[in-house]
Amino acid sequence: MRELKLFLGPQHPGMHGNASIHMFVEGDIIKRAFLLPGMLHRGFEKGMERHTWVNNISLIPRVCVVEPDINEMAFAMGVETLANITVPERAHWIRMIVLELARISIHLMAYGGLGSPTGNYTMMYHAHADRNSILNIFEKITGHRVYHQYIVPGGVRKDLPVGIEKDINDFLDDLESRYVEYRDIGIENPTIVPRIKDTIVLPSEVVWELGVTGIGMRSAVNKAYDLRKVMPYARYDQVEFEVPVASYSDARSRVDLKLQELVQSISIIRQCLAKMPEGDVRVPLSRGQSMRWTVPKGHVYSCVESSRGEFGYYMVSNGGTHPYRVGVRGASYPQGLLGIEKYLPGTRIDDAALWVDTMGVCSPEIDR
Amino acid sequence: MNSMTNIKYVSSLVENRFKVIKKEIVSEYQISFEVDKDEVHRLLTLLKLEGWIQLSYLSAIDWINDNEYELVYIVMNWEKPVHVQIRTRISRENPSMDSILPIFPGCKYYEREVHEFFGVKFPGNPEYAKQLILEGWDDIPPLRKDFDPRAYSDAHFAKREYTETFVNLNNEKSKQVKREKRKERIIRVRKGGKK
Repeated sequence: MRELKLFLGPQHPGMHGNASIHMFVEGDIIKRAFLLPGMLHRGFEKGMERHTWVNNISLIPRVCVVEPDINEMAFAMGVETLANITVPERAHWIRMIVLELARISIHLMAYGGLGSPTGNYTMMYHAHADRNSILNIFEKITGHRVYHQYIVPGGVRKDLPVGIEKDINDFLDDLESRYVEYRDIGIENPTIVPRIKDTIVLPSEVVWELGVTGIGMRSAVNKAYDLRKVMPYARYDQVEFEVPVASYSDARSRVDLKLQELVQSISIIRQCLAKMPEGDVRVPLSRGQSMRWTVPKGHVYSCVESSRGEFGYYMVSNGGTHPYRVGVRGASYPQGLLGIEKYLPGTRIDDAALWVDTMGVCSPEIDR
Repeated sequence: MNSMTNIKYVSSLVENRFKVIKKEIVSEYQISFEVDKDEVHRLLTLLKLEGWIQLSYLSAIDWINDNEYELVYIVMNWEKPVHVQIRTRISRENPSMDSILPIFPGCKYYEREVHEFFGVKFPGNPEYAKQLILEGWDDIPPLRKDFDPRAYSDAHFAKREYTETFVNLNNEKSKQVKREKRKERIIRVRKGGKK
């Protein structure tokens, strides 16, 4: 049979963001494939060297478009390690609430995104409607819907507004009451199950070869390798939660883990709201002009657990007002580039979009 | 504390067998070693055998004043949770470093990216010189410190003119005066004058 070249480009509903997969197919089967990044390259790593430490706060959320809060957290943690800043106790808990709300929102979005390649758009509408409720809460807390610039070095920008606990609790109760419905509409749905069961399998031996982290890794190796557990940041060591794992990583089990993590995130937010102490939320970085604030010399790699895996910033300071070098470790770098090249060949064309969705390939953080 | 014993374990493991130029304990879950260029591969192999099986990050830093590049390898062990930074310096003239592809196959695209943005060659990685992100790039690698984005953009793109005239439709004199005063003040402050 003749070999054809096929683009799974940004126009396809299953492709997330501005990247395209080049596939060489014979009939229905992919023979070779590679990802073509570069359509979204904005030169952030160079741009951050040209801005001051404080200016960069407005630049970093743009690195990953759909999940901006992890960028702020990784950047803030790195600067705090370099400059030896102690964050107020209340700020840690507020950060955790924001991060877990963001995790719910991105898991819902990814779960709804599964609807487009499998043809069940109803679940996408449900998931996006719930994500919108989270964005409304974010708007009340931070003043912005998507790029919050809320978690800053030294704490959070301002305290939670009065009465936000009720909004958050109402939303969590509502989401929890519809959890079974969510499962029924998606991964228990007989029209979708044949598409996602036993497709796009990630064997546990290749996880280390690729360097995959996050849900992709946990669903294959059956160990609770979650940065929130193994090297707890903020106050994750003071809340109780479980890390869902699985021993067989097909598309269905990865989506299943996402939904189970949702329940854990709901429980973490409730514990945060109950345990949160009163007090300051931000320590001032310097007494003078914030634009002239300098950070001591050093190299630091700070990382957080995002919805797709280990997301890190490598930061170098030479003691000046500007960072000397900022490198971004995109969480989806391994599964996006090497994973597509090595493990897509042999699968069918329609499964390519499932890999992108369930492994969580985010093109903005591959390009930067 | 459990995490500090892990740090001590790595540090004794590395310091007993290798000549470490500089050691730094960054945090309770992170340690960094600066070693010679020739020892990186042996050190990474040792760490991989001891359980640091995940390559988290690979990149470079341009120290233009020392005329050197610094390569950074970050590896992670999930059983003994410690990030180990391994840094090494290579010359800035004709920079080249043997690939770590046989040790960590996941480095393939990181090395391509470092070649694209810094110009470091990685013999041993068959595809290191292929372009990855910057399509049709015709200048020096952009993350070098001597690359000037403004000069590049002036040379490659048309200059855009911005007009600063306001159209005062309703003859609002007071607003116009206020606006001009504010502009003067901003320029004065920028040049180092008083508010």
